[in-house]
Amino acid sequence: MNGWILAATVELGGGGAAALWGVATGPPARRLTAQNLTTSVVCPALLLLAQGYARPAYVDLALLLALLGPVGTLVFARLLSGEQVSGPNVRGATWTAAGLDAAVVVAVCAAVGPGRSMVKLLLIGTLLIGGNIIASRALAGGFRGVGGG
Amino acid sequence: MTRRTAPRAFLLAAGELLAWWAGLALLWLVLITTVDTLERIVGASCAAAGALAARAGRRAVTWR
Repeated sequence: MNGWILAATVELGGGGAAALWGVATGPPARRLTAQNLTTSVVCPALLLLAQGYARPAYVDLALLLALLGPVGTLVFARLLSGEQVSGPNVRGATWTAAGLDAAVVVAVCAAVGPGRSMVKLLLIGTLLIGGNIIASRALAGGFRGVGGG
Repeated sequence: MTRRTAPRAFLLAAGELLAWWAGLALLWLVLITTVDTLERIVGASCAAAGALAARAGRRAVTWR
């Protein structure tokens, strides 16, 4: 076990437990928010594990998750749009997750060094953080201008 | 009138397709693990199909 795998274990354990608790308890809006944040927990863990095991192919899983996670959340947000209640701590959780994602991406980028791999990591980070913020805004009742379509 | 605008429309469409193709091919080259001839050929082909789909999608959204 090296530092990357240890970091992934701590990150996945702590964040996964928090997300599981959020998904399993509380009103639907809170559960949806926690479900959305699982992407922001698992994706950086995959990046850390790819670095820890020196398997660049594992990064593809993180890329897929960063793409499909927010899309799934948007489907849920659309299905349950009639009963959305903005949670009190959505904003804090969203920005905490975004900060965690950014920190992990920057750390892995520093370890990888400049090159195509770094561009790929930055793309994953952009997709992850952007998707997280957009999905959180949709869950919090945002985008009213496009809600009636 | 149409004889004057037709070449311009064609050039605009070709330019848009080329822009989509360049972006998608660049994305392909960034995301693959090893860059070799086969990957370049497959990437260029997929980017061409993707460029057609992207333009169709963009037009479908714009004409709504």
